[in-house]
Amino acid sequence: MKTFDHLLEASAEAHGHLCPGQVVGVRMALLGCRLIGLDNPRSIEQIKKLIVYVEMDRCTADAVAFVTGVKLGRRSLKFMDYGIMAATFVNLETQSAFRIISTEEARDLISLYAPEITEKRRQQIVAYRRMPDCVLFNVQKVRVLIEPHDLPGPTRNKATCARCGQVVRDHREIIENGRPLCRPCAQSAYFKSPQAISWSDMNWSPGDEKSTAYHETKPEKRIRKTVTPC
Amino acid sequence: MLKKVPLKDAVGSDLAHDITEVRPGEFKGPAFRKGHRVCDEDICRLQRLGKNHLYLIDLENDELHENQAARMLATAIAGEGVTWEDNPKEGKIEMFAQHDGLLRIDMAALGALNMIDEVMCATLHNHTRVRKGELVAATRSIPLVVKREPIERAVAIACQKGAVVEVKAMKKARAGLIITGNEVYHGLIQDGFEPILKKKLTDLDASVETVDFQPDDAERIARAIRNQVDKGFDLLLLTGGMSVDPDDVTRHGIQMAGAEEVHYGAAVLPGAMFLVAYIGETPILGVPACGLHHRATALDLVLPRVLAGERIGKAQLAFLGHGGLCRQCPKCSFPNCAFGKGL
Repeated sequence: MKTFDHLLEASAEAHGHLCPGQVVGVRMALLGCRLIGLDNPRSIEQIKKLIVYVEMDRCTADAVAFVTGVKLGRRSLKFMDYGIMAATFVNLETQSAFRIISTEEARDLISLYAPEITEKRRQQIVAYRRMPDCVLFNVQKVRVLIEPHDLPGPTRNKATCARCGQVVRDHREIIENGRPLCRPCAQSAYFKSPQAISWSDMNWSPGDEKSTAYHETKPEKRIRKTVTPC
Repeated sequence: MLKKVPLKDAVGSDLAHDITEVRPGEFKGPAFRKGHRVCDEDICRLQRLGKNHLYLIDLENDELHENQAARMLATAIAGEGVTWEDNPKEGKIEMFAQHDGLLRIDMAALGALNMIDEVMCATLHNHTRVRKGELVAATRSIPLVVKREPIERAVAIACQKGAVVEVKAMKKARAGLIITGNEVYHGLIQDGFEPILKKKLTDLDASVETVDFQPDDAERIARAIRNQVDKGFDLLLLTGGMSVDPDDVTRHGIQMAGAEEVHYGAAVLPGAMFLVAYIGETPILGVPACGLHHRATALDLVLPRVLAGERIGKAQLAFLGHGGLCRQCPKCSFPNCAFGKGL
């Protein structure tokens, strides 16, 4: 594992800025990996052993993902939308799992740990660096039962929504009266009033050659045709 | 795990904890100690103490009795110069100064530790001068039976920088005095600083090796400073010339003597024009005129800390502000007052 400072700098760059959440996230990831016995989670040898559940979509989540190398698309990063500053680190090989929760007390202790700094954001960053792990975090040893269809690897199951025809992967369908339904059909969705449309340059593709930037594609290379949204 | 039993059914069992008796203005302490076997004769006294039930304890593996918890806490909290007896009373352990010195509290660790619901630690103020044997801190777990996890967490917090409470011995420093001012140098008035500063230093076990009198001449002041630094004194005190008048050149003299670090101004009243400088590792304290008139000034807050080995910089002088206002009581009780105890 690289040094804390190296990880923080790289994580902040990937995230877009250095913030208190980055400090907490990097430390959370370092502690989580240490507890489940992984010292270099991004390495080829260890990357497939790790699954991380993050319970918040905040800066901390990005830092956790950056340090551990877990990714949503690889199914090694699971987002649980609990709104809790916590993440659980699972070693698939040993089944050991620890849930690390950022403490609320740490927020109240900022001025004690960095009394010489008045600017709030910088004070938080410095204080979160100085606090020991046991002030910054509560840790729970937990059991995480991961269903086979939630593990990394190829799609294990497909079902077709009996109402709209959409294919649903990995047992995310809802069975209603014995029929599979996709979640937007079975439950309320995050979107409303879906309506299929046409759009300009809808015949564009990058092609086989080395492509230019998407917005720099020369108009004459596109076959333009006026389309009317339905 | 705690089991509540009626008093009459507790005869023959061992008390799970000390039972406190309070007789207002007369006595406060344990009437019965943990482990005492309850007998019929105890029943009336226990009832007078308001006890109609007692706890029987059956500890789980992950639980600690309050006395065990207090021992673990005291071990972690007490550092250099702090002593305690492994004899918790009413679940509490008190810690005492092992020698005269200056109390140092890791306030961040203290705050973090006290944020844990199940534990507490109370101390005297940071930077309080204490005498050997003086009570400086006390700790206990709040519940009678406590989970091991919060106690271990508190121990880890306390140990992050070694300990939470320390008593730093003050160096028996060899000090030099330089008293500046044309009025004193030319004999127009009699100096009042020398006896005051000598007393303050000897009260702290420091000795005054030499006293130089210099006029308001920056070059001569600088030479006197260099001379005393070259003699290897641990500390220099300068008086006079710390204010804003054109004749006040002592600061300039300190800079000419080669001070690498000069902090002029402290968030203390009296003592706003106090100065701390360093030539190498030798601290130089500039004492403004208020030191002649007030029993306690910025000097009295900073000098013990310097003698306890602390390097005083801008932040240390600034943080004196909270609590740095003397109440000017008709009868001064410093250091047993709030002056200088903010941080």
